[in-house]
Amino acid sequence: MPLSKPWRKLLFPALMDVSRRSFLVRGGATLAGAALVGPLLPGCAPAAASLAHIQGQLLGPNAAAGHLLRDPGKIPAPTRTVDTDVLIVGGGVAGLSARRWLHRHGLTDTLLVELDGQAGGNASAGHNPTSAYPWGAHYLPVPDVRNRELLDFLQETGSLTGYAPSGLPIYSDYHLCAAPDERLSISGHWQDGLVPAVGLSAEEQAQTARFFQLIERLKTAVGRDGRDAFRIPLDASSADETYRRLDRISFADYLSQEGYSAAPLRWYLDYACRDDYGAPAAQVSAWAGLHYFACRKGRAHNATGGDVLTWPEGNHFLAGHLRRQAPTPLQTNTLAYDLRETAAGVEVLTYDTAARQSTRVRARRVLLATPAHVARRLLAAVPGHALPPAAAFHHAPWLVANLTVSGLPQGPGRPLSWDNVRYGSASLGYINANQQDISQDTGGPRVVTLYWPLTDEAPDLARRHAYQTSYAQWLPRVVAELETYHPGVTPYLQRADLWVWGHGMVAPTPGLLWGPGRAAAQQPVRGRIFFAHTDFSGISIFEEAFYQGIRAAREMLGAA
Amino acid sequence: MAELLDEPALGAPVTDAGAPAADARLPGLLLVAVAVIATCGLIYELIAGTLASYLLGDSVTQFSTIIGAYLFAMGIGSWLSKFLDGPLLKWFIRLEILVGIVGGCMAPLLFLLFEYVTSFRLLLYALVGLTGVLVGLEIPLLMRILEHRFPFKDLVARVFTFDYVGALLASLIFPLVLVPHLGLIRTSLLFGALNLVVASVVLARFAETRPYRRRFAGGIGAALAGLGALFYFANDLLAHTETLAFQDQVIYSKSTPYQRIVLTRNPRELRLFLNGNLQFSSLDEYRYHEALVHPLMQALPSARRVLVLGGGDGLAVRELLKYKQLTSIRLVDLDPGMTQLFRHSPLLLALNKGALNDPKVQVISADAYQWVRADTARYDAVIVDFPDPSNYSIGKLYSAAFYTALTKRLAPGGRLVVQSTSPYLARQSFWCVAHTLQAAGLHVVPYHLYVPSFGEWGYVLAGPDAQWRGDAGPLPAGLRYVTAGTIHDMLRFPPDMAEVPTEVNQLNNQALVRYFEEDWGPYVH
Ligand SMILES: Cc1cc2nc3c(=O)[nH]c(=O)nc-3n(C[C@H](O)[C@H](O)[C@H](O)COP(=O)(O)OP(=O)(O)OC[C@H]3O[C@@H](n4cnc5c(N)ncnc54)[C@H](O)[C@@H]3O)c2cc1C
Repeated sequence: MPLSKPWRKLLFPALMDVSRRSFLVRGGATLAGAALVGPLLPGCAPAAASLAHIQGQLLGPNAAAGHLLRDPGKIPAPTRTVDTDVLIVGGGVAGLSARRWLHRHGLTDTLLVELDGQAGGNASAGHNPTSAYPWGAHYLPVPDVRNRELLDFLQETGSLTGYAPSGLPIYSDYHLCAAPDERLSISGHWQDGLVPAVGLSAEEQAQTARFFQLIERLKTAVGRDGRDAFRIPLDASSADETYRRLDRISFADYLSQEGYSAAPLRWYLDYACRDDYGAPAAQVSAWAGLHYFACRKGRAHNATGGDVLTWPEGNHFLAGHLRRQAPTPLQTNTLAYDLRETAAGVEVLTYDTAARQSTRVRARRVLLATPAHVARRLLAAVPGHALPPAAAFHHAPWLVANLTVSGLPQGPGRPLSWDNVRYGSASLGYINANQQDISQDTGGPRVVTLYWPLTDEAPDLARRHAYQTSYAQWLPRVVAELETYHPGVTPYLQRADLWVWGHGMVAPTPGLLWGPGRAAAQQPVRGRIFFAHTDFSGISIFEEAFYQGIRAAREMLGAA
Repeated sequence: MAELLDEPALGAPVTDAGAPAADARLPGLLLVAVAVIATCGLIYELIAGTLASYLLGDSVTQFSTIIGAYLFAMGIGSWLSKFLDGPLLKWFIRLEILVGIVGGCMAPLLFLLFEYVTSFRLLLYALVGLTGVLVGLEIPLLMRILEHRFPFKDLVARVFTFDYVGALLASLIFPLVLVPHLGLIRTSLLFGALNLVVASVVLARFAETRPYRRRFAGGIGAALAGLGALFYFANDLLAHTETLAFQDQVIYSKSTPYQRIVLTRNPRELRLFLNGNLQFSSLDEYRYHEALVHPLMQALPSARRVLVLGGGDGLAVRELLKYKQLTSIRLVDLDPGMTQLFRHSPLLLALNKGALNDPKVQVISADAYQWVRADTARYDAVIVDFPDPSNYSIGKLYSAAFYTALTKRLAPGGRLVVQSTSPYLARQSFWCVAHTLQAAGLHVVPYHLYVPSFGEWGYVLAGPDAQWRGDAGPLPAGLRYVTAGTIHDMLRFPPDMAEVPTEVNQLNNQALVRYFEEDWGPYVH
């Protein structure tokens, strides 16, 4: 049944359009109510009333249990004892990766304890009848082919389906992000891609082009030690001062020095830093700012380095595979709250927040796969580690909102994409959790995931405020933000589930990556206490978490 | 005013002292009228705003300009009210009749005229302005009617209370009850009728209306009957607006959750439109469907099982049924509305020869991509007859990943054919489909023909090997276009349609949708 003569559409544009027709029946009306009660009944507040139809709740990592760490006196004394060779504390990607690696290499007597109800950490996910959706990490760029461990893992998950005769990996069509992937709303128009391209002056265009030429050069740049200037994992990057000195200034200062002043370019780069690091360009190092772009060296038979792998449930897909690839015991809802060294190794007290019982875990060795500030608190009574104080790390809090919508009133320009961002917006925009659906879009409900790093205040203050904000207070903010993307969307919102990350992800502040502190901090303590977490990379991405786990596992296997 | 004094329902005149005792005898009837007309007034505004954003898009702009225009017109109405003199009650009744007719007809009129009026906005604002002026007259007029009945502060308080109560009522029932259950057209008509009811109640209750009561009652009755008739025929009205848009007579129209199906007829032909796009004309569809089915099927004389994807009109199945050796034909179409129509409408049954009701045919309503991935059966032939790849959603059904999934459903020696848009008007798109099938590991045979109502049209036949031949087997008797000779001709591509290099259409690049936009762009814009 060919669709012939599309020009016919011009004859009757609106009446024939299914989505618009259904708008007549569904959304338009409530919209009318919301928009009009105000002007006609001055003094009444329509905004508050018009959110009543939205259901949802405020969720988050088990912050209450996490805060028990500061107050272990409230936890009941242990009633049983468990022995294990290796105890892994923290079931985020780093912890799961270590567990898998240890199991693969014959170290099967391990126990992993995870504070939350599900393993995954920042790669957690949820689902409702409409869709699965991520609560945090949601994509993995097509990897560098030299990252063998990662490629092997992806092959085990089915995301990498094989290799072409050229030797390049072939990725599953269903896991490569479906087109269209990105759009930016700028001057009331949705353009293709996130780099501002609409309405730029000649000078702004020239600067943008110059920046991306620089990135192309840096992608292939090699230091005097023969190593890539920028690489994932970042520990494989060159130690050449030419590049490393970029870690000592802020990305914003670097850009100004190099004459990148164009506002649209600067907005975009700031956006990129907030997106990957939860901090603006002024607060991350130039090395990190450039690394974000220059490390993207992925190659594939059926994709480019610019492509990403994604799943409705985000990186929870990967975390789930990591978890299932080792059968060793894994206890969720379990907080490690005390750690002591003994003659035989370590003794860790854990608290089962569901059963409200504590256990004494006697292990020969422990792997702390928790954020650095948690590790430091656990090691309060243990000397000999080089963990920096919590203040050394910049962790912005994040708000993530999964919004079930029965429609998204469209502005002019490109259609709904995977990543949808508005120029100048306070949040980072939203991704379409249903992007990988293969079925026809029949205008049914979908879930979009809004990402919002709370970077207006210093992290500590922002965190305190975020924890104090109730669902009823968040909701209007989230709705107002989505309204800036899709005016009139409020009546289409069915559910808004919100999640607050107190410590979203580490920001690579100047000096963090290549100062002496980071290398020292991840050093094992007396062959008994090991560390793995993206905090120790200074950059929080899946690849680093995956690598951290393997690095720590190798240290353990080597030390055994 | 004097004529009102002998109306007991209005209560006694206020004493000079302005005794609050008057409260007890408030003319409740007129206050109820205030609430009703306030509700109607707001409903008209909501209708205009909703309609404008529906028909013109950009809801925020439309809404706010409509509100502005409407409120401003109400202001003009209020100002004009001072020029109305003489028997005010008579004016009020006249006004209600007018508001009822104008407001009641607003939605049907706007819908009907949208397609014909060059400057639709002008009409829209004229109508909004007129309604606004009339509605703006109502409250001042009523206040003047009541003016000597109550102390001023009471009058203002009561009238505006009822006014705002009516507004609140309207703003709540409009989205929650009216639009979901009645739709815009019927809501508009219903509230027009309410204004007329107010007019008739006032007419009946007040003695001084006697002199003109009969005349006005006749007018109101006629107007009510008119609105009632429109209310009854609202759906046909909508269909009629399409009739004119489609040039020909619309003999069937239906909105399914997936698309708007419209069937038109003129003395020569029957045409099917999906979302306004022509799918076939009964005059030459045989060319399209013979070319879709026979080059593939003649080469598979031992085929038994066939899968058809899309093609809910049953016309490809009609061609398939000419091969008596087939034992099973499965048709998977997204929209049960389509297959239902082509299974039951006598006119269409004449066209597809009842193909979908044949015992060999199994009709499945499902999303083809999901269905193919879940299916485990194997087919000797697969016929892919999807709409053109005009958006990302349909583009997935032309992807290498989809063809890979489909190839797994082919029995040994099985082949498939894909309708592949126009190689002349959409040359890159056509060759992109061919290259994508190749990328899925298939050998392809592209071909094309001329279908008068579409233009030059193309298909790509594909299979696991290069064994296909255009003169392999016997063709069914009675074909009007396809012969061994025309198959041979269809394989030749003149230079203006010859192969061009393209990317492969993958889910992660949707190259085909981009080509399709580029190719058809010049014809659409
Ligand atoms: C909103 C958001 C979006 C992101 N998006 C992406 C993305 O798209 N792509 C990407 O690559 N990365 C993304 N990231 C980065 C993400 O942090 C990393 O990819 C990775 O998941 C980090 O894993 P991890 O193991 O280092 O840390 P975590 O995920 O922090 O894991 C630490 C684990 O330790 C547990 N834990 C802490 N204390 C204790 C205790 N005392 N006892 C027991 N368990 C404890 C925690 O509950 C947690 O599960 C995102 C992060 C956030 C916050």
